[in-house]
Amino acid sequence: MTGRSGEVLVFAESRETCLELLGKAREIADTLGAQVDVALFGESTAAWAHELGGWGADRLYTVEDPRLAGFSVGPYTDALVELLKRTGPSVALFAATKQGAEMAPRVAARLGSGCVSSCVDVRVDPETRCVEAQAMIYSGRGVATYLVKKNPAVLLAVPNTFARKACGARGLEVVAFQPTISDQRVQTLEVRPRATEGRRLEDARVVVDLGQGVREADGLTMAQELADLLGGQLACTRPVSSERGWFPEWLGLSGKRVSPRLCIALGVSGAIQHIIGIRGSEFIVAVDNSEDSAILTQSDFGVVADLHEFVPALVEVIKARGLRLA
Amino acid sequence: MKIAACVKYSLDVAEIRVDVPTRKLLLTGVPRKLGNVDKNVLETAVMLKEAHGGSVHALGFGPPEAKDALLREALAMGADEAVVVVDPFDGGLDPSATAAVLASALARMGGFDIVVCGEASDDDSTYQVGPRLAESLGWPQVAYVRDIAVEGGCVVAERDVGAYSERVSVPLPALITVTEETNTPRRPTLMDVLKAKKKPLALWELEADLGITPASLQEAATVKQLGSEAVIVSRRQTVLWNKPASDLARELVELLVQEGVLEGHDP
Ligand SMILES: Cc1cc2nc3c(=O)[nH]c(=O)nc-3n(C[C@H](O)[C@H](O)[C@H](O)COP(=O)(O)OP(=O)(O)OC[C@H]3O[C@@H](n4cnc5c(N)ncnc54)[C@H](O)[C@@H]3O)c2cc1C
Ligand SMILES: Nc1ncnc2c1ncn2[C@@H]1O[C@H](COP(=O)(O)O)[C@@H](O)[C@H]1O
Repeated sequence: MTGRSGEVLVFAESRETCLELLGKAREIADTLGAQVDVALFGESTAAWAHELGGWGADRLYTVEDPRLAGFSVGPYTDALVELLKRTGPSVALFAATKQGAEMAPRVAARLGSGCVSSCVDVRVDPETRCVEAQAMIYSGRGVATYLVKKNPAVLLAVPNTFARKACGARGLEVVAFQPTISDQRVQTLEVRPRATEGRRLEDARVVVDLGQGVREADGLTMAQELADLLGGQLACTRPVSSERGWFPEWLGLSGKRVSPRLCIALGVSGAIQHIIGIRGSEFIVAVDNSEDSAILTQSDFGVVADLHEFVPALVEVIKARGLRLA
Repeated sequence: MKIAACVKYSLDVAEIRVDVPTRKLLLTGVPRKLGNVDKNVLETAVMLKEAHGGSVHALGFGPPEAKDALLREALAMGADEAVVVVDPFDGGLDPSATAAVLASALARMGGFDIVVCGEASDDDSTYQVGPRLAESLGWPQVAYVRDIAVEGGCVVAERDVGAYSERVSVPLPALITVTEETNTPRRPTLMDVLKAKKKPLALWELEADLGITPASLQEAATVKQLGSEAVIVSRRQTVLWNKPASDLARELVELLVQEGVLEGHDP
């Protein structure tokens, strides 16, 4: 088992994204009869790394280096390129997060490799090792299939696309790797963590989604009451997140994607870049005061009304009938 | 300071329609324009020039029609020169090809201190061209910039990395990518557009001006699209309207109960 490098390498940005990518990586490796490597960088190796064998990894490459303590694209690219040159996989999987998206193309460029963004599926031909990736295009309006002409195929996978799969205890070989890090031109002066919300929107069964139509003064309180009544969570569009500071995260192409049983969109216009974040919902209800709003064609039940009158009325009815999510 | 603004003449994705039976994306006739984020790119570049002096050079790899958009937007917003490198594949190649062309055009224009890109283009949104271009230039990159200042030969930038934000410093030359939250792009007046008509605006050909043959560019592309199809999500699209809020609320709740989304429970 030792010695041979994996055909698929997963870049571990966080435990969450790593387990998802491993789900897919294991599947690919099994069709090839090959192994899965994980690359994890930092000042020291995170404790969760040692459980990765149970999620499909065969080998863990750790780089422990104070210069990799916090993410910085220059040193991380140096380290990863050297590792990929050494291990020579067919596929390198990254999560399509902000960090992934700024590093993966640079890694690909240095390797002369193809890179596909917004991937939702991957296939590797067992004979030729040709990599085909399916990816969202035009903000999710479509899906395209790409052939990667130069391996390692560097793929940015949309978060929450692949399912993690526990695979019983496998032996995890841990290899300490010491790359040469030369690009230290960017200096970090200050890091400010976002207030963590301590919840996973992805797990919510009801999401109340707030757009710019929600009034600053009292809209949030109304929406919160509705969400609480249904045991749901609040979420928002990108401009609401950036301009109001209510929530650090938003839903959509450049944000999170949710798939609750019920999503209630309030004052959301239905731009495709936002819809992609909620279209996995089983039911979408939209409240908008404009009958021309695109959200009405993207929802199961649309209500044309001022949301500030409608939401309190809805809360009344739900309370009066003693209803809850089925 | 010599500043480059890389801008893309993009498809308006909101106008892409779908042929449901064949699942085809109907791309012909979709209007094109300078992308929204590209206006933030231009605004960043022009603000840097206003603060530190120098010149702004707008660059796009796209169809010849992009010239008009570059005139009305880029030059009118304050760029000093605009160049469109004509794309014989009209966006059909991959981000590595785009980055290679932009790098070559920047080298020909020469002497840049800073290159500004968008984090992601309006239509392809690959997030790749900025980092790939930085790598081709051998420059450091700072992505997702919200705020930027140039002090003592360094860019000091505030950037948003999702889970956290950070302030970084990098010596010039450097490439930055900006987001739509970075600034509010100025709106050029008619007067600005008239003045822009006197500024240099060139169309370059790949082979004649940059010495890149279309065949070699196609050959060097690292990814090839094999096909595409539309994502079709059909929703019921039942619309309730034109009634008092309390009636609409009762109707909606009834629908949700019928669908089994809501149910009664004993308090
Ligand atoms: C590359 C790219 C990536 C992007 N990524 C994302 C993303 O991930 N997520 C995202 O959300 N956006 C994203 N956007 C932005 C997106 O295109 C839209 O601009 C944004 O989603 C619009 O937000 P909104 O619906 O809150 O606001 P608006 O478009 O302003 O809509 C407000 C709605 O509220 C309605 N309204 C107003 N008053 C009331 C009232 N009193 N009662 C009821 N309704 C009312 C209006 O009729 C309107 O429909 C992206 C854009 C680009 C170019
Ligand atoms: N054809 C192009 N011409 C000029 N700049 C481009 C082009 N394509 C992408 N860019 C730049 O790269 C950024 C990111 O684009 P993308 O990689 O397509 O998401 C854009 O916002 C532009 O600044």
